[in-house]
Amino acid sequence: MNVYQAVRDAMSVALTKDDTAVVFGEDVAFGGVFRCTMGLAEEFGRERVFNTPLTEQGIAGFGIGMAAMGHTAIAEIQFADYIFPAFDQIVNEAAKLRYRSGGQYDCGRLTIRTPSMSVGHGGLYHSQSPEGFFMGAAGLKIVIPRSPIQAKGLLLGSVRDPNPVVFMEPKILYRSAVEHVPIDDYELPLGVAEVLHQGTDLTLLSWGTPLYHCETALHMLQHPPPELAPHVPQRLRGAKIELIDLRTILPWDVQTVVDSVNKTGRLVIVHEAGATGGVSSDIGAEVQKRCFLKLEAPVRRVTGWDTPVPLQYEKFHIPDALRILDTIVDTLSY
Amino acid sequence: MIRTGARIAGQFLQPRSVATAAQRAVPHVEVRVGRLPQSQSPFVPKLQFFNSVTATGQQIPTYRVMDGSGSALDGSSMPEIDEATARKIYEHMVLLPTMDTVLYNVQRQGKISFYMTAYGEEATVVGAAAALEPHDEVLGQYRESGVLLWRGFGLDNIMGQCLGNVEDTSTKGRQMPVHFASREHHFYSISSPLATQIPQAAGVGFALRRTPGRQNSIAVCFMGEGAASEGDFHAGLQMASTLPCPTMFIVRNNGFAISTPSTEQYHGDGIASRGPGYGIDTIRVDGNDVLAVLSAVKEARKRCLEQSRAVLVEAMTYRVGHHSTSDDSFAYRARSEVEDRKKIDNPISRMRRFMEERGWWSAKEEEELKARLKADVMKAFKRAEGLSRPSLTELFDDVYAGQEPWTIKEQRSELFGLLKKYGQAWDPWKKELGKFKNGGQDLIDAGK
Repeated sequence: MNVYQAVRDAMSVALTKDDTAVVFGEDVAFGGVFRCTMGLAEEFGRERVFNTPLTEQGIAGFGIGMAAMGHTAIAEIQFADYIFPAFDQIVNEAAKLRYRSGGQYDCGRLTIRTPSMSVGHGGLYHSQSPEGFFMGAAGLKIVIPRSPIQAKGLLLGSVRDPNPVVFMEPKILYRSAVEHVPIDDYELPLGVAEVLHQGTDLTLLSWGTPLYHCETALHMLQHPPPELAPHVPQRLRGAKIELIDLRTILPWDVQTVVDSVNKTGRLVIVHEAGATGGVSSDIGAEVQKRCFLKLEAPVRRVTGWDTPVPLQYEKFHIPDALRILDTIVDTLSY
Repeated sequence: MIRTGARIAGQFLQPRSVATAAQRAVPHVEVRVGRLPQSQSPFVPKLQFFNSVTATGQQIPTYRVMDGSGSALDGSSMPEIDEATARKIYEHMVLLPTMDTVLYNVQRQGKISFYMTAYGEEATVVGAAAALEPHDEVLGQYRESGVLLWRGFGLDNIMGQCLGNVEDTSTKGRQMPVHFASREHHFYSISSPLATQIPQAAGVGFALRRTPGRQNSIAVCFMGEGAASEGDFHAGLQMASTLPCPTMFIVRNNGFAISTPSTEQYHGDGIASRGPGYGIDTIRVDGNDVLAVLSAVKEARKRCLEQSRAVLVEAMTYRVGHHSTSDDSFAYRARSEVEDRKKIDNPISRMRRFMEERGWWSAKEEEELKARLKADVMKAFKRAEGLSRPSLTELFDDVYAGQEPWTIKEQRSELFGLLKKYGQAWDPWKKELGKFKNGGQDLIDAGK
């Protein structure tokens, strides 16, 4: 399965096992613009898988209302770039409903799925990574998977989590990432990061698409192509890098990250969103507070620039493997 | 917004069949002689602009059944009402401002932080509450306490919320006064952001339709005419009409959104004129005529349930009180205008005269009622005033369900530690701690 098929499979499981579950959003009935809801309307009926009018604030508000009545609401925002009209509903309403009503009402059964991150030619409004904007919305969870297995398990975990979840799907991976995905029902835990490679010299932390650039950078560190070899000192090529997929952005797994940095003494964080106000700011601050005596180099961030995502300049905007490699080399040589 | 999703994924979509409901409803032959795929509109050869929802170009009429002095209008479609129901309605119409006056005054004395009265809108709120079923889910704005009173929420719960004391089941002392919530009374959590409840009400209606045993309940969403300018109004009505959802929207058009008169809020024929644009059955009602409100909302409820689709009720009333205790409305409207409205068109005296005409009410009963209600409210306030605030730990509870995130856990410990260290040394905290349950001792102990 690829990522869109895994996402579709997760929703099919959710709809099969839970009679209250519904899937809705713009253009989901014919299968969705990314094919994530293919055949669901035919399989479960238009009463459970349906199009809404083109209104993001309406979609989010509608989902909150359904979830408040105890129904499982799986809403889709067509692109994360268009989640901002629903920002008020998500931040002021969904995140705060349980707290403000003394626990009488909640919308924990709401999950908002949305494709995010850059895709090669998405320009300003089909490329954004808005996870950082939601970091202050206590009461909300933010989840980003990296692969088909992760997407299915984390999406089912999100749908069944007793809190509202914004689930951001890296859209460039929809068709490019393929692996064997269990067809049965399984969940992956929220709030838990995953260590992909063990290491002792540097912690490399990311989520979603840039994890693949991290993998490439690590390969280049070991085996630099001839053109780059002069920039990668021989003594660093055997460095053992610990690669971590954060998976849940809010609340993030501080323990796994801190344990890793206490071991390696070095941290590089990679994300597509701009540096200022990005998720890495929070992580960097917590890590320097908790690992101050163990840090052997400044915490570094490899991110998109603090500009909108520009169409023709994308290759120079994203935190690609070369920029990650350069920062790793810098940090290891500090 | 340009949506290029399909192209980005490299998946060129097949052109979709765009047969709309309108097109499907039109016989094929008519399509051939000239109709548009997205409309049933006939073609006309004359250039003609359109700016009204009524055939004659007049404003949408306002339904009322009794005149300003409580007499039935000739030929009016009066709701069937017996003496007991009329008395219950009247009592609640009097209770609402009695409670408002006490709470308004105690706010002025600094005993609660904030308050909003419903003066002038008693007929709209109580009339609607009486027309609904007690199991209908109500999503309010903030000026609908009358619905809770009608449903037996009780003055102790009202006071508990406004004082934010240990009995505040609505918010555990977390929200500002008048932000009530009660699952038991099917009254959704009030929040300050205007209009957010409108699309939520569409979702509530849709959920009710799909909930076994709840198919006889509807969602009812209240808002003011100012809130109807928010984008969420458009979103909510559009969704409730299209999906469709058994949701009734009741707009309290009281002429003002804080200082902004409705003439600066919209240029069209009020809010009601928008209903037909969404394909929604709509009525405008005299919001100061409680029997007209009762009758209109009952009929609206019936249609809402039968069609499982949105209905819209615009109740025309007047905000007699200030917007809130933080507002002096005489800064933007004449005191005489307000006094005139109270005299000329008072919803409570209209209902009283209606009852007096039938021999259902007397001056003696009026005196007794007023004295009794005032005593009830004062008793509830005095009792509530003596209660402490909830436990200070509630500051951190209910943010998340399930396992508490490390952020909340650590921050709770941090405050506990600070309280242990400074709780009795730092005056601003020392004074506050005394107001909480056990003087905040549970947190101080936990910090040890």
